[in-house]
Amino acid sequence: MSQHVTIVMIEDDEGHARLIEKNIRRAGINNPIKHFLDGTSAVDYLENAPEGPAHNGPALVLLDLNLPDMSGTDILTRIKSGAGALKRTPVVVLTTTDDKVEIQRCYDLGCNVYITKPVNYESFAQAIRQLGLFLSVIQVPGDEPTA
Amino acid sequence: MTITDRLFNRLVLSAVAIGFVALILAGIMVSASIQQNQEFNRRVDHTYQVQAAVYEYRVLAERAEAGRRGYLLKPDVRYRRVFENASAQLPGAMEKIRRLTADNPAQQDRLGALDPLVREQATLMARSAAMVARGRQIDAVGVFRNDNNLANMQEIRARLSAIGEVEAGLLKERSERQQAGVVTLRWVLGATGILLLLVAGGSVFVIFQYTRDLTASRKSLSRLNAHLEDAVEERTVDLRRANDEIQRFAYIVSHDLRSPLVNIMGFTAELEAAREPLGELVDRVEAAHPDLLTNDARDAVRTDLPEATGFIRASTQKMDRLITAILRLSREGRRVLTPEPLDMTVLVEGIADSLKHRTDELGATISIQPLPAITSDRVAIEQILSNLIENAVKYLKPGRPGRIHVRGRMEGPRAVFEIEDNGRGIDPKDHERVFDLFRRAGTQDQPGEGIGLAHVRALAYRLGGIISCESALDQGATFRLSLPAVTVPERGAT
Repeated sequence: MSQHVTIVMIEDDEGHARLIEKNIRRAGINNPIKHFLDGTSAVDYLENAPEGPAHNGPALVLLDLNLPDMSGTDILTRIKSGAGALKRTPVVVLTTTDDKVEIQRCYDLGCNVYITKPVNYESFAQAIRQLGLFLSVIQVPGDEPTA
Repeated sequence: MTITDRLFNRLVLSAVAIGFVALILAGIMVSASIQQNQEFNRRVDHTYQVQAAVYEYRVLAERAEAGRRGYLLKPDVRYRRVFENASAQLPGAMEKIRRLTADNPAQQDRLGALDPLVREQATLMARSAAMVARGRQIDAVGVFRNDNNLANMQEIRARLSAIGEVEAGLLKERSERQQAGVVTLRWVLGATGILLLLVAGGSVFVIFQYTRDLTASRKSLSRLNAHLEDAVEERTVDLRRANDEIQRFAYIVSHDLRSPLVNIMGFTAELEAAREPLGELVDRVEAAHPDLLTNDARDAVRTDLPEATGFIRASTQKMDRLITAILRLSREGRRVLTPEPLDMTVLVEGIADSLKHRTDELGATISIQPLPAITSDRVAIEQILSNLIENAVKYLKPGRPGRIHVRGRMEGPRAVFEIEDNGRGIDPKDHERVFDLFRRAGTQDQPGEGIGLAHVRALAYRLGGIISCESALDQGATFRLSLPAVTVPERGAT
């Protein structure tokens, strides 16, 4: 995975964020992780930041659906209906919701991967490590060819 | 004025009864009066007959007298014939009067008194006539002058008149009685008429009142009905809203409770992971500088920490299972039911087949009798029955070969299914409790969270059904599920 790809983590629970980060690092992924605790600032970054994905900054979004200020599906909709490079940004939904309807809705909205956070930590760590594996082979669109 | 049904029935019945009695009485009176009238007519006729007979007799008597007198004056054979003819008819005429007045002893007496006079007169007349016939005309006239012929004749006339008058008097008397009877009848008929009018009027009034009351109460009933439907509709909407709220609440709570659980489990794992280097450190310190290591530090790392994390882990796992159960129940409540025709025998056989592995292992058998087909939600029915049959297999009595029977029958518009086992049974005091969420009964030697039967009951209620349990400890258990044979698809389901 390209060293340039920034992982944008939108997660309101700091504990979850910390556990996700730890396990991503354990999987050997060293890309920078930008963490947002709420939807508003995350959307602002995604759409407006000069180095953000809207301006061809290669990125991958880790998205929690249960956020305090807006619904994760709204963010997903905005990313996938966004201008230019933003809509090509891969989105991994990582959330506690395992409702079938919710999962279908996310895929319909263009989510690339949907992962349920299991309470069982071993499964959780396993899932994140597999995500790390996935991140290491995924091709993320960017202005530079991936190395 | 309101009239109760009983009062109304009584009033109308008694009115009709009074009317009929009055009519019957009037009928009897009229009939009696007609009979009386006929009798009267007969009497009148009779009286006239008597009078006619008396008159006839008198005429005959007069003619006989006149004939005799003529014969006395002029011995012409024609006069004599007149006299003889009339005389010959007299006894017949008398007999006629006698016959007609046979029913009246007073008249008979009078006639009897007349008899000697008549006989004497006849004798006198016959004698004088005979004298004339022998040519002793002068003698005969002399005899005629001297005997009491004239007085006798007058007496006969007077007596005959008396008989006629008596009959006339009787007629007058009867006529007066008849008149009085007619007047009475007229009064009775008038009274009956008035009574009938009153009864009819009263009945019409009562019926009118009753009908008015009936109409009024029907109106108010239909008003109430309409209102009731509105009220029911309102309550249903309220209930549905409350139910939706509870479902949403359960869903959100169970989701949001999961989030912290992820952290607890995650960081507990992190703690456990951190214990490893700590343990190594303690080992190394113990080996190199035992004086630096306190007992507290060693116990904390080697005993207390693993124990604490172990409990946290176990509790969190349990909590996760409970939350998952609530989530499942709430999700089940939100699922839209899709009723379809179900061959229950096939469905239950499918469940039995899926449990075959376990039943073979336990040496248990599941026997299924032909079950009535129903129209219901397949998923819900499968979950209910598989939970019940699984429970039956799960709680068999060790050492007793399991026998599980599934029966079904129709009871009117409902289908009843029974799952009977010969397992360890349930204490009657726990029969309600086993259906509560997270509650279990009996020896806790089987895994489970106390969710299955709560789930079964929630599903049964949702389908409009009832689930009940019959059992005693060690006596096996029978779970009875009663369902509408046809489940109607829900309106406005969320």
